Amino acid sequence: MNRLEDELKRALERVQPPAGFAERVLARARAEAEKPARSRRWLGLFGLGLAGAGSLRWAAACALCVVLAASGVIYERDMQRRRGEEAKDQVMLALRITGSKLQIAEQSLKELDSTSQPQQ
Amino acid sequence: MTTAAAAPATHKLDFEDLVREHQRMVFSIGYHFLHNAAAAEEVAQDVFLELFKRLGTLESPEHVTHWLRRVACHRSIDYARRNKGAAAEVSWDQLPEPAQPARHSDLGNSDPMMSKHLQQMVAALPQKMRMVVILRYQEEAGLEEIANTMGIPLNTVKSTLHRAHAMLRAKMEQTIGKEWGEVNA
Amino acid sequence: MKRIGIIIALLFAVQLPAAAQDWDPGGALKKLSAKASKAIDVTLDQSMLQFAGAFLDSKDPDQVQAKKIISNMKGIYVHSFEFEKAGEYSEDDLTPLRAPLKEPVWSRIVNVRSKHDGQNVEVYFKKEDGKFTGLVVIATEPTELTFVDIIGPINPEDFKRLGGQFGIPKVEIDQDPPGKKGETK
Repeated sequence: MNRLEDELKRALERVQPPAGFAERVLARARAEAEKPARSRRWLGLFGLGLAGAGSLRWAAACALCVVLAASGVIYERDMQRRRGEEAKDQVMLALRITGSKLQIAEQSLKELDSTSQPQQ
Repeated sequence: MTTAAAAPATHKLDFEDLVREHQRMVFSIGYHFLHNAAAAEEVAQDVFLELFKRLGTLESPEHVTHWLRRVACHRSIDYARRNKGAAAEVSWDQLPEPAQPARHSDLGNSDPMMSKHLQQMVAALPQKMRMVVILRYQEEAGLEEIANTMGIPLNTVKSTLHRAHAMLRAKMEQTIGKEWGEVNA
Repeated sequence: MKRIGIIIALLFAVQLPAAAQDWDPGGALKKLSAKASKAIDVTLDQSMLQFAGAFLDSKDPDQVQAKKIISNMKGIYVHSFEFEKAGEYSEDDLTPLRAPLKEPVWSRIVNVRSKHDGQNVEVYFKKEDGKFTGLVVIATEPTELTFVDIIGPINPEDFKRLGGQFGIPKVEIDQDPPGKKGETK
């Protein structure tokens, strides 16, 4: 084991997460576990919960259609943005890979120079 | 807090216990990879939320540890790719304190600034190389374990680690001095 | 990067006859992909590059540089393969990739081999009507092979700066004496 490896072990020791981290995780998990129950309550409003309120039910259905249509637009915009971000990531990945290989070439040339005899 | 309702009744893995047991490991993988405490917390929270959903499929505490390590690696890499600005420097004030005293404090010549310097250098390594270095030195994982965790061939782990040493050593010689390369077995 | 830059600058001084780029190494790459345990394929034609360019962050220096590099490019194709063990691909597999990269249209400006880990990197530039219109990098190591094909126009000055950006640590090079650098092995 050499000095670099010792120092790397020291530098990369595990660190404590910020205070309250575990509590935040547990809170999120609780919220995740409660999700299905909340969805059922909302569905109930459009089904069994509006007995006798026919026009109100129609209004709710229309509102739902509008929301769905808007969601479609938002979804398409989101998909476009996501595709763009993915394309951007691909560009950066390609340039990184290219750069790293050029860097290896440069590094190898440097190593070669450092071991070659000086020219007179 | 107990596991999700879908878990088998005989399941002995308790989610809260697992969070408290593994939070340092998961957070630290993200932190050393992204060099950003907020980003590391976001990744770590996502990892544990994923654990919460999948706890019923994990068979043992050892399985959980390997699973968490693997997911933390991949989520950190994904996060870095999606958020280029996440790998930002953390200021001195924001740097979390180590959970335990340094294991190598008997190295009389070691300077605390060196750790900071090395952390920054590791954070600047190419992503795959960076993760190999973190798994090797933070987790003290064997080469095969690194290969399994990252889903890459063993020989690639070896060559990547070798290149990482060369790059880090060259950089240390540049910034600290030639004597860095002379203190070696 | 400076050394490659000097070589490229000298090539600028040489007028080469124009030649159509009619080379498609798809067959060879498919064979390699079939042998590999893991493959990364990045295929970005001109329209995808322009589309991606709109999403590059103008506040991020790396992405600003990336936007500059790809601004007039016609395509970037990167294929990176990992193999389970050494020997799973051979020089014969690389012959079809190298075959079209011949003088006078193409110039191999770098061919270096590292003794440590068997890495070999070849860099080729294509020149038409006094302008650089193509870059090919073939990087091989025992268990990894990367093939980069960039269709220009290309500004070599932009590629000089790739080291030190995009998370790649910059390696400082000693000042070189002026003069043409040939291939080295």
